[in-house]
Amino acid sequence: MSAPAARDPSERGWGAHVPAGLAALGVLLALQLLGTLLVSVLHLPVPGAVVGLVLLVALGARHRGLRRRVEPAGDPLLRHLQLLFVPPGVGIVTESSRLASAAGPLALAVAGSFAAGLVVAGVVLQALLRRSARRGTPPA
Amino acid sequence: MTALVHAPAFGLALTLLAYLGAGELHRRLGRPAVLAPVLVATVVVAVALEVLGIGYREYLASVSVLTLLLGPATVALALPLLREGRALLVARSAVLVTLLVTGLVSVGVTVGALEVLGVADDLVRTALPRSVTTPVALTLADTIGAVATLTVVLTLVSGVLGAVVGPALLSLVRVRDPRARGFAIGLTSHGIGTSRALAESEVAGGWSSAAMVLNALVMTAALPLVARSFGG
Repeated sequence: MSAPAARDPSERGWGAHVPAGLAALGVLLALQLLGTLLVSVLHLPVPGAVVGLVLLVALGARHRGLRRRVEPAGDPLLRHLQLLFVPPGVGIVTESSRLASAAGPLALAVAGSFAAGLVVAGVVLQALLRRSARRGTPPA
Repeated sequence: MTALVHAPAFGLALTLLAYLGAGELHRRLGRPAVLAPVLVATVVVAVALEVLGIGYREYLASVSVLTLLLGPATVALALPLLREGRALLVARSAVLVTLLVTGLVSVGVTVGALEVLGVADDLVRTALPRSVTTPVALTLADTIGAVATLTVVLTLVSGVLGAVVGPALLSLVRVRDPRARGFAIGLTSHGIGTSRALAESEVAGGWSSAAMVLNALVMTAALPLVARSFGG
């Protein structure tokens, strides 16, 4: 009840007066907007959030503290990512006539490229991993 | 009743409750992949909007918080990649070759099938991002001039397909290495597949989410170029 446990480094230092999840969301948003800024300044052909993702990979690989700081918001967001797809999914009602007119070809293309991609990825990666294991590279 | 139904928070509350209920149902029925909470919740919300006479625009305005969260969620995709970082680095050439070959095959089959069957160019563009994780697919759809809602639906279909038949199909072609199984599922069925791969093993789940993120990066770079040849 009294003094908060000070062992977890994420509970100390800058931003410690707000819940860890809120601080984490702030960091994620800051990275996204930094990405957006870079996209507009450098005229990159990719979304700002994707640049933010790359920034977090680059920075997080060196600073474990940053990773720990974004986890309280990042992990729950990723675990329930699907909730965020409900609103655009609902829009299908407005597009249903369009979908129905090309349903056959679309189904074939999606199912076909799914099956081909899945089998190719699994077989190729397994073969390559086996080959490098035989060559004596330590298994990952 | 009208005051309640047209309250600014109604759409958001409806969506959250539908998602919670669908998740609970999913858990109680033993997690069948066909009844993925996102599908059930989407159908429930769509039906509720029809019955209550709420327009899609009004609904979208109410759930703008969820739409906004797609940005930070995309940034957070860095986390699984960071966790599997070392294992991926050790196998980097195998991973890269797999990414490129699979990307070529899956885009090739999509474009080939739709071209042969004579589908309109904007629908070809719409089908392209289907194997990319949805937050990125949505922004990509914008960039390449695809129909966003349709892209989301095709993406969800891919995800569910991967969760339902993915593991069996991989066993059929004798892919047993959990890393390869996870990677293949993540590459083709992104987040929904990843949650299925996680159920198989921690390793499969990690490689699945890493594949999902790497695929999103590769496709973000490649799809605008492919889309250009279809008037995107």
